[in-house]
Order: sequence, then structure tokens, then C-alpha cells
Amino acid sequence: MGQVPSSASASASPEPSHRGISSSQRLDSLPSLELISSSDEDEVCRGDSGGGGYDYTGDLPDECLAHVFHFLGAGDRKRCSSVCRRWLRVDGESRHRLSLNAHAELLSSLPSIFTRFDAVTKLALRCDRKSVSLGDDALILISLKCRSLTRLKLRGCRELTDLGVATFAQNCTQLRKLSCGSCSFGARAINAVLDHCVNLEELSIKRLRGIHDGAEPIGPGAAAKSLRSICLRELINGQSFGPLLVEARKLSTLKLIRCLGDWDKVLQTIGRSNPGLLEVHLERIQVSDGGLSGIANCKGIETLHVVKVPECSNLGLSSIAENCRQLRKLHIDGWRINRIGDEGLVEVAKHCLQLQELVLIGVSVTHSSLGLIGSNCRKLERLAFCGSDTVSDVEIACIATKCEALKKLCIKNCPVSDVGIESLARGCPNLVKIKVRKCRGVSGQVVELLKEQRGSLVFNLDAGEIEALDDFGVEESAAEFPPANASDVPSSSNERSMLFRAKLGFFAGRNLVACTFRRWSNGENSTNGNL
Amino acid sequence: MASSRKITLRSSDGESFEVEEAVAVESQTIKHMIEDDCADNAIPLPNVTSKILAKVIEYCKKHVDASKAEDRVNDEDLKAWDAAFIKVDQVDQATLFDLILAANYLNIKSLLDLTCQTVADMIKGNLFPVRNEWLNFTFSIANRELVLVCLTEWVAHRRLFCS
Repeated sequence: MGQVPSSASASASPEPSHRGISSSQRLDSLPSLELISSSDEDEVCRGDSGGGGYDYTGDLPDECLAHVFHFLGAGDRKRCSSVCRRWLRVDGESRHRLSLNAHAELLSSLPSIFTRFDAVTKLALRCDRKSVSLGDDALILISLKCRSLTRLKLRGCRELTDLGVATFAQNCTQLRKLSCGSCSFGARAINAVLDHCVNLEELSIKRLRGIHDGAEPIGPGAAAKSLRSICLRELINGQSFGPLLVEARKLSTLKLIRCLGDWDKVLQTIGRSNPGLLEVHLERIQVSDGGLSGIANCKGIETLHVVKVPECSNLGLSSIAENCRQLRKLHIDGWRINRIGDEGLVEVAKHCLQLQELVLIGVSVTHSSLGLIGSNCRKLERLAFCGSDTVSDVEIACIATKCEALKKLCIKNCPVSDVGIESLARGCPNLVKIKVRKCRGVSGQVVELLKEQRGSLVFNLDAGEIEALDDFGVEESAAEFPPANASDVPSSSNERSMLFRAKLGFFAGRNLVACTFRRWSNGENSTNGNL
Repeated sequence: MASSRKITLRSSDGESFEVEEAVAVESQTIKHMIEDDCADNAIPLPNVTSKILAKVIEYCKKHVDASKAEDRVNDEDLKAWDAAFIKVDQVDQATLFDLILAANYLNIKSLLDLTCQTVADMIKGNLFPVRNEWLNFTFSIANRELVLVCLTEWVAHRRLFCS
């Protein structure tokens, strides 16, 4: 890094201590800062010595100055902290959230960082692929400095081992949220966290390389009683989390994304033991109708995402519909396999009267089920179709007449034309926003027409052919058919991750689905959310 | 009918302001004083001048009125009113900071947020070069080495942040 390293005993105290820095060298590397010097920080802030005027912030007590900083983002806070010593101190004392580059070199700066920032409760440590990450000693040091850490996010910290994480867990027992991605530790580390961090509420694990075949079982630990949200992503042996998943009785959110193994049994067990489940997200995992029926025993489910799960059919969806009558948000990506369609949606229409949001990707639905949904689901406010070959003008007309509560409609890559869109001019009295993408039959003229007839409607039309990654996050070419093997592994991955991806096999490749509705309905994915 | 009891507030320079209780208790500090029965006579506010107290009362009155059913003001209109209230060229800097102090002392969260957000907005993106007219700092170079020591940790840490 080549910057001025603080000595190990660095502190933010006002006493100037000469640290033997060769000033001529350092001055050259600094940007040209004209700065006042003083051992008394109050004097600095008065600024009287220049005839410039009065510094009003000097009148504010620290807590008010901290409150001002609270309205600033990290970048602005960083700049603020360079204004004068007092601002440096107040910013440091009031900063609760920190995001650091977790390179190996970070270790030497840790003492001074956590002296300056002594109130950090939310920490993110990110290391890029090209650098060597910090190791166990750094993590342990952090755990000693930040005993009251409530949230930790680790990304790419490949040098951390079970031992380091276990020691961290012993020191930071107040942890509520742990999110790790692309790290190399294993089951022992996670078990240590579950044993010591008894108030853990959210656990999100992505690509943990140490959990390979034959890993020891994970959970339940003391934290099973407090966990509310578990998200497992791209794990070779996600099944090892079985004991935890089953014992986490307070679990309200479960997300299983691209994890190998057959998940039917686990879902069936969860269905029996975790009645409080509210949100379930199943994506590219091996689950059949049996698993769906199993999870359907959680009768309070409000949000369900079934994404690219080829073995699920109308039968499984019906089972969900019959049992989960509180369903509010349903996202299905049928991957154009046509195992889920009208039949299943008719059941949804019959039983899930609370439905507010419906997103169908690669699902062949027609007006026969959509009409029923419209008539029965009186609270339906948001509707989206993507890549549905059967959603045509007839379907849109049907929606227009039946879906009275509809506020937002999104149509992408469907055989809809101006005729269908026109019908919306007269229907859907509560419609606020329409988005149309890649529907060749829809022209700008109908947009004008609609805007004329319905003044407050926001109509977003883009008929552009080339869109690298659009709102749905779907790459059309890749979405055509499920990949036969790991042929779409990105070429930029290095050897280690190649091996890892090869093991994931069928599930390798880029994440293809992210719906517009994630933004619309403010559903934040816990692994992508901010600390 | 809710009692519209009047409370008298006395500023540091001896001026008295009579306000409805509902307005006065926008301030948690005053609210607690009333609850603790310290409010029989005027409530003295030795930290707040009459000029500032008048503005604070104006703010509180508007916000209390805005939530009353008859004069229901929608959120956007209230925000616009707040923005006009705090606009810096009407409210000179000294007043702005005095308002922060008053809001802090009187414990009026919404006014504290409004005033601090205003200061934050003035700071945003305006800090480099360090010599900053708004902040009224005029720095001079005295002893650069001490400066280095002073901000060494800032310089050392600068590259470590992700954002």
C-alpha cells in the first residue's frame, strides 16, 4: 500500500508524538493539504488564526456534530474526518459501520483503525480475488477490539480458517448477523459461531469451500433458537446444514439457492418442525413435488419463490396453494419447461385470496387461469410476465377487465401487441405504472394513446433488441433451455473456483434471475443487503 | 375536548412566550418538566434566546397543526414548509447552529434532524480542498510535521476503506 503506516501504539490523542517519520519523503506523497497544526484540537477548530471567520461547528456538542455526520455517507464522512482533529475524533467515535479492504496488509493498521473507530458494530471485510486476504490473526485482533460487533460481512477472505473464526465467535458473542461469501473455512467454524453467538438472527453462507463432501453436520448450536433467517447459496454440501435448519424453530426466512443434493427430505422435515416460516426461496436446487408438499405444511408462508426447479410441477404448486392461504407474493420461474402452468395457477386462484404480487417467468399461462386469478385475488397489485409464450393480447385484455386492484404491470418478451396494451386504457382502474420490454408488437403509438387517456399513468417502453442485462436480470439466450452441463462456466475463473464450479456442475453459471419486483416490493435479499 | 392549557416559556433574555400545551410538549424536555410538575409558573429556558425560541415555537406550532384532523397537511407540503423554514439565506448560519443547540437542549427530534440534515447537505461533496469558504476555516501552514502526526492515521487509513 505504501502509505504512512501508523505505529502499533498509534492513538488519536491530541498529543503530538514524534514518530520518526522522515518528513521530506512523506510530504511529497501527500496531496497538497494546507492544515493547521495544534496540540489543542479546540484551537484548530476555532480557525481564528486566519481571519477567515467563525466556526460554528465548534459550538456544537460532540453528539450534535455526530448527528450531523450521521446524515452523511461513508465517503463524505471520510472527507469530514480530515478537516480537523475534532472532526476526526467525533467521526471516529460515532462511526458504527465500517467497510474495509481485507488484504493481508490490513493487519498492521488494525490497532490504529479500531482506536480511531471505537464504536463499530457493523463491519464488512472484503478482499478481491487478486489479493491475499487477511488471516486468522487479523480476525482475532478485530474480535478483541470490537467485542460488541453485531454484524459481520466477509467476502473473499480465503485465508481465514476454522480456528480464526472460532476464536472470533468466542469473543464476539453479540453477533446478530453473519454473512460470508467465497471464504474457505468449514463446518467447524460455523458450528463455533452457532455455539457462541447465542443471539444470532441471520446467517447467510455463500460458496464456503471448506464444507465439502463428508463435512461434519452443522448445527443446531445455541443459536438455533434465535435464528430467523438462513440463506444457503452455492454450497456443495448444503445438506450438512440439515440439523440447523430443522432445529431453527423461529425461522421465518429460508433461502436455498444452487446447493447440491436432494432437498425433499429436509423440506419435509422443516415443514413439520418450523411452522412459523414466512418466506421461502428455492432456486436451482433439486426439489420435487414431494418437497413442495412438505414445505406447504408451513401454513403461514407469505412469500414463495420457486425458480428454475425443473422437478416441480402443477401438483406441487397446488399443494402449496391449498395449504398456504396467506400467500402474498408468488414468483415462479418455470424455465420454459412447462411443468407449471394453468392448472397450478387455477389452484392458486382458488385458495390464495391474499395474493398481492405475482411474477411468472418462462411459465405458459393463459387467460383461463389469469381470469380466475383476477376475479378471485382482489388484492393483486403487482403482476409481471417474462418470456411467457402464451401471454398474448387475449391475456392482457383479460387482466384489464378482471384485475381491479392492479397498480403495476410488467411485460417482457411476450407476444403482446398494441391491441392488448390498448385494452389497458379502459381497464385496471388503479393502474399506476406499466413497463414493457422486448415486446416487438408494442409500439410507441400505443404509449401515447394510453398516456392521453390515463394521464397519471407511467408507461415505460423499451423495444430495444440488445440489452445485456435488463431489469429481470435474465439473459434471454441462456434462459432458453436449462444448461445440459457446466458449459457456461465463465472463462475468467481461476483454477480453484473452476474445480468448485465443476463440482456444482449443473448449477454452475451466472445467476440468471433477479426480478424487477425485488425493487418494487422492497424485498431485500439478505446476502446482497447492506450491513 | 382536550384542554388547551397554556404554558409559559421564558427565554434566556427574559421574554415570555405563551403557547398551547400541545405545542410545548413537542419538546420532550418541556414535556418531562410538565410531568414532573415543574411548570406551574413559567418554564425558564436559560439556554435559549428569545429570537431562537420564537423560531422553535413557530416550528412546533406548524407541526402540531399539521397533524390535526381539520388542518391536515400532507407530508409533501409539510416538507416544503420545513425546507422554506430552514433555508440558509433566510436563516443565517448563526441561527442555524443555534437552532441545532436549541433542538438538542429541548429534545425536539424532528427539528434536530431537520437542522442537522441541513448542515450535512451543506457539507456534502464540498470538503476538498480543505480550505473551505463555507466552513469559515482559513488554515495556515505552521508546523507540517505536527500536522502529519495529527492526521497520520487519517492518511494511513484512507486506502483501507471500501467506500
